[in-house]
Amino acid sequence: MGFHRQIRLMVAPPAMQPGGYVMKAYADRSEAATPAVDLRVDGSERGGFAIELGWDCARMQGAAGAQTDRFVDACALLCPLTPDAPWITMGAPGQPVEAVYWRADRERPWRMRAEGLGTMQRGEAPPGWSAQGAWDAGRWRVRFVLDAWEALAVQRRLGVAVWQGQHGERAGLKSVSDTWLPLG
Amino acid sequence: MQYELKPSRKQVAMVLDLNKCLGCHTCTVACKKLWNTDQGTDYAYWNNVETMPGKGYPAQYTDSGGRTASGEVKRGRVPNMDAEYGRAWTFNHASVIATDAASGTKEWLRPNEKPKWGPNWDEDHGEGSYPRDNHYFYLPRLCNHCTHPACLDACPRGAIHKREEDGIVLVDQDRCHGYRFCVEACPYKKVYFDYQRQVAAKCIFCLPRVEEGVAPACARQCPGRLRYVGFRDDREGPIWKLVDEWKVALPLHPEYGLGPNVFYVPPLSPPKLDAAGRPLPEMRIPVDYLKSLFGPEVEQAMATLTREREKRRRGEASELMDTLIAYVWEDNFRLGANTREVL
Repeated sequence: MGFHRQIRLMVAPPAMQPGGYVMKAYADRSEAATPAVDLRVDGSERGGFAIELGWDCARMQGAAGAQTDRFVDACALLCPLTPDAPWITMGAPGQPVEAVYWRADRERPWRMRAEGLGTMQRGEAPPGWSAQGAWDAGRWRVRFVLDAWEALAVQRRLGVAVWQGQHGERAGLKSVSDTWLPLG
Repeated sequence: MQYELKPSRKQVAMVLDLNKCLGCHTCTVACKKLWNTDQGTDYAYWNNVETMPGKGYPAQYTDSGGRTASGEVKRGRVPNMDAEYGRAWTFNHASVIATDAASGTKEWLRPNEKPKWGPNWDEDHGEGSYPRDNHYFYLPRLCNHCTHPACLDACPRGAIHKREEDGIVLVDQDRCHGYRFCVEACPYKKVYFDYQRQVAAKCIFCLPRVEEGVAPACARQCPGRLRYVGFRDDREGPIWKLVDEWKVALPLHPEYGLGPNVFYVPPLSPPKLDAAGRPLPEMRIPVDYLKSLFGPEVEQAMATLTREREKRRRGEASELMDTLIAYVWEDNFRLGANTREVL
């Protein structure tokens, strides 16, 4: 099982962001900083996955260091935990989603769970999950190796999000796929 | 999705009389030593004292805040460590100690890198020309624990809340993911980013002290006795008297519309001099400048202060002047019946 596709990304709508500030201060964001990603998914019969994301990134932001105003490149793969969990809001109450999140300044990915915007809880990923990123010639390639991801094995749909630190992207300031992507 | 903010049942507040601030930074040191010694906030001062007119801290902070002059949300900016906050300096202690006795040469203590900016970089500079109209004053700043906090409104994770029992604004660092929209949005730039723990950090109005009826460290340690602490609605307390009754204590940048709960008694200043050195009727600190900080009501406040000060000079009674002189320091702090202040 596997596929390799280029996925168009859109800017996550600022109007949906919780609180009154982000939706107004960033209302002019209409262009995705990351217009497209290459997504390669290879699945094993035992429920494990190797997933690779690649995207253009002219100026890599690999670590924030002792700085206040630097943001770090990151990406995430989201999967619904229920058949009706909405994508663009990262789930909803009673309709959770689960994610694996890679950030350029971390050795290990985070495993995350959310039931709507602003509810994301993050924790260490299981021992069998890893993520490695490499930046070369203006392009990130991040490879997730997940020895088992039950949610994806069952639901067989993915969402993709990318944050470019050079553009101050974090939280809801991100580029995302416009819907759940069926694994085929 | 806007947050619904329940009004606080009570609101702690502080008044600072700028006529009495001597710029000693004891407030800053008291706060920093008590709460804020983590490496990731080594550059950060929950309380700081600025020389005004001046760039402030972080430099030109009003340019990077998340509010327009009419109180509308605008995109703010997270200040830069080197250019705006000023990185905490490191010194050549080791080489100074190592070289002196053994070689007979002296290496003087100095920063390891040439400093270019810091929190008190323009201290005592001010404006004007000596001796005719040179002027400056000190402006101590801390979180305003706003009635409508921009930081709370900015956090997409709902990690900032305003306590119903006393209106103190707090960051839940377990919930915070270090996105820094709060830093960006606060027009006073009083939320900081702990770059090591990657969470936001800010003044907590010394809440464990306040819960015991003890005023915050910045107020208690002030040698000038210029700070008053109490609840906003306590009609017997100094806050009500100075803010609502006498109307001589004003918020900083009220135009942002956030309802700051820290108030300032504006500074009076000596008269300007003419070419012959004779005093002119105009004060050295331009009223328009003070208006740009404290709003249009500053003129009325200064008129009241001048009037009451003259009364006192004539030997007449002035409750306002007695309050501001702080003959009885205990009266500066009034945090309720359970107060256990030991002065």
